[in-house]
Amino acid sequence: MKRILRILIWVAISAVGAVALGTIALHRGEQISAMWLVLAAVCTYSLGYRFYSKFVAAKVLGLDSHRATPAERLDNGRDFVPTNKWVVFGHHFAAIAGPGPLVGPVLAAQLGYLPGTLWILLGAVFGGCVQDFVILVFSIRRDGKSLTEMAREEIGRLGGLVAYLAILSIIVILLGAGALIIVNALKSSPWGVFTIALTIPIALLMGFYMRRIRPGKVLEVSALGFVLVILAIWGGQWVSQTPGIARWFTFTAPTLAIVLMIYGFAASAMPVWLLLAPRDYLSTFVKLGTIGLLALGILAVRPTLHMPPLTRFIDGTGPVFAGSVFPFAFITIACGAISGFHSLISSGTTPKLIRREPEARMVGYGAMMAESMVAIMAMIAACVLQPGTYFAINSPAGVVGTAPEAAAATITNWGFPVTAQGMHALAQAVGEQTLYNRTGGAPAFAVGMAQIFSSSLGGVVMAIWYHFAIMFEALFILTTLDAGTRVGRFMLQDALGHLWKPIGRTSWYPSILATSALIVAAWGCFLWQGVKDPLGGINSLWPLFGIANQLLATVALCVATTIIIKMKKARYGLVTLAPLAWLGSVTFTAAWQKLFDPSPRIGFLAHARHLAATAAPGHELSQLIFNDRLDAFATGTLMLLVAIVLAESVVLWMHVLAGRKEAAVKESPFVMTQFAAEEQG
Amino acid sequence: MKQARLTVSPQGVRTGWLRRAARLLLSAVREIFDEAAYERFLTRTKVASSVKAYEAFRKDYDVLKAKGPRCC
Repeated sequence: MKRILRILIWVAISAVGAVALGTIALHRGEQISAMWLVLAAVCTYSLGYRFYSKFVAAKVLGLDSHRATPAERLDNGRDFVPTNKWVVFGHHFAAIAGPGPLVGPVLAAQLGYLPGTLWILLGAVFGGCVQDFVILVFSIRRDGKSLTEMAREEIGRLGGLVAYLAILSIIVILLGAGALIIVNALKSSPWGVFTIALTIPIALLMGFYMRRIRPGKVLEVSALGFVLVILAIWGGQWVSQTPGIARWFTFTAPTLAIVLMIYGFAASAMPVWLLLAPRDYLSTFVKLGTIGLLALGILAVRPTLHMPPLTRFIDGTGPVFAGSVFPFAFITIACGAISGFHSLISSGTTPKLIRREPEARMVGYGAMMAESMVAIMAMIAACVLQPGTYFAINSPAGVVGTAPEAAAATITNWGFPVTAQGMHALAQAVGEQTLYNRTGGAPAFAVGMAQIFSSSLGGVVMAIWYHFAIMFEALFILTTLDAGTRVGRFMLQDALGHLWKPIGRTSWYPSILATSALIVAAWGCFLWQGVKDPLGGINSLWPLFGIANQLLATVALCVATTIIIKMKKARYGLVTLAPLAWLGSVTFTAAWQKLFDPSPRIGFLAHARHLAATAAPGHELSQLIFNDRLDAFATGTLMLLVAIVLAESVVLWMHVLAGRKEAAVKESPFVMTQFAAEEQG
Repeated sequence: MKQARLTVSPQGVRTGWLRRAARLLLSAVREIFDEAAYERFLTRTKVASSVKAYEAFRKDYDVLKAKGPRCC
């Protein structure tokens, strides 16, 4: 009887999911409620987790509850610690959730809500969740080894080298793109700048408090920091309304870019406890709270999606980023569907905390589902805006111009009505001078979030919610910026240490300063190019980041497929081979188009040629042409390196399948877990 | 002799479940915010919490933490 009831429940979930997906896919010409997206997501994730992840766990990976994990065998109370699965789930989710799943869907909303939503759901269930899960399990079976180490051991030395270079490139490009998003959100915004500037002394104060006043009371000090940040938002309103003080906090984009570079360098070179650790705690506190709040807000308001399912820009002529649905929708949304970066977390801290092997399913597969849900919420926040408003905020000056009337007329001509008066009123309502040309996704997300919050919680003006959302995103990105600069610095020191030993010493100050400066210069170069780009910068930087991130996922899926074949489970190889094939075709097509497409809005080289032929010569022109060529070089190099790893993997698979090479995996030996006996006892 | 299970009311069961969930949530939050790691450090090194102990913990822990990537 119970079995029949279970079957009926799953049949009902499938039916509801099918109706929800049908509604979001087939409704044309009428607006639908955001709840259909939520319903489709919940049903898809439930089915994916219950059936697909169970299949992968049982048939492909053969998770063994009797096998001791490294957390148990190597338990040292430091990095190897057997931990409750829900606790590891929270830890893993907090580590993988960054600004990516918030920004990508907002940018992809220019195509309509349908392509992005379908990619987030299907990409996560069949790609991202699988990648995170299998890499986590393979790392657990190799004493918590990193992706780079696994690539070197299972594929070859080249695999390790490519993974290393891809990681470093992603970090640099991500930091450049992230910094650009902050610059675009904060330029000419005294309120935003004041609030974000105050988070630095707040973080320093938190560092002092948790070190000197109440040692180790991190939760307490994070709550205190949160209260101070809220006061900073409130104070920002007063600053923005006091002209004499407001001008101290009103910066142009280039000035903000320089300030951010100085900040990144200082944060990387300072002791961790002073700024990085407290800011990290503050950011995590705000992040978890805001994501929860946004989910509640969407459920309470059940907003209507004003964006159509498909816009005219699916042909590739969109103002936010250039390029058609295939392949650009799939690289614009990375973190909410599949992100190569997650494989670094799955082979970093998390495998050292898993207590029992079967728990990896909930942590690896489950946490990625939660991340994907965040991306769905970001898509909703972007699509609740009137399309005209969305395009006015996200279109660069190079496409719609800087004059409000002209920009509104251009956007209205695209079929998305908007008026200069309406945009002015909205800017006033959120406490900004203007909302035009705010490329990067963060301001559009903040306006959408403010609309949801102000209608669900009422009483509090939209301006406060808007600046709360901007603070939340900027804090998020700044944490990635300072931690990323530091990680990049460590990676560089590791590599350069092979050439000259002293530079590899992470505590040697000349080395710290030199490598920090190199990493900041690398991402600063991308940031500067974005700031100077008349097309807003995000048009070239975000696809570049997406390509680099998805190429890393390609490497991770190559490692996973290689291990599955070596485990003599080639019949299940499609589990990772199918997402690998899809991702490979998407990423290589996107990279090829970014390199060689004849349209100057898409191809880097075509854009360089276009500039050389049409613009007036000068220093700025040669700088823009250099930037295009640099982007082309970075894309080409990454593409070539990953193509080599892919070819190396395919050759290895063929040798193993033909029996010409021994199918030997490099797993740690089996040791019986003590936890099973304890539980039985 | 009364059996213990007879004294548990349905409301008691519900409260117990809630209490367990709250405890779990608190454990997750304490792990995310490294309070649990500090506690393990104190147990491992057999010292009481103090400014000096926390400094030693951060010295040991920050190297681990700062090298770990933060996701995008």
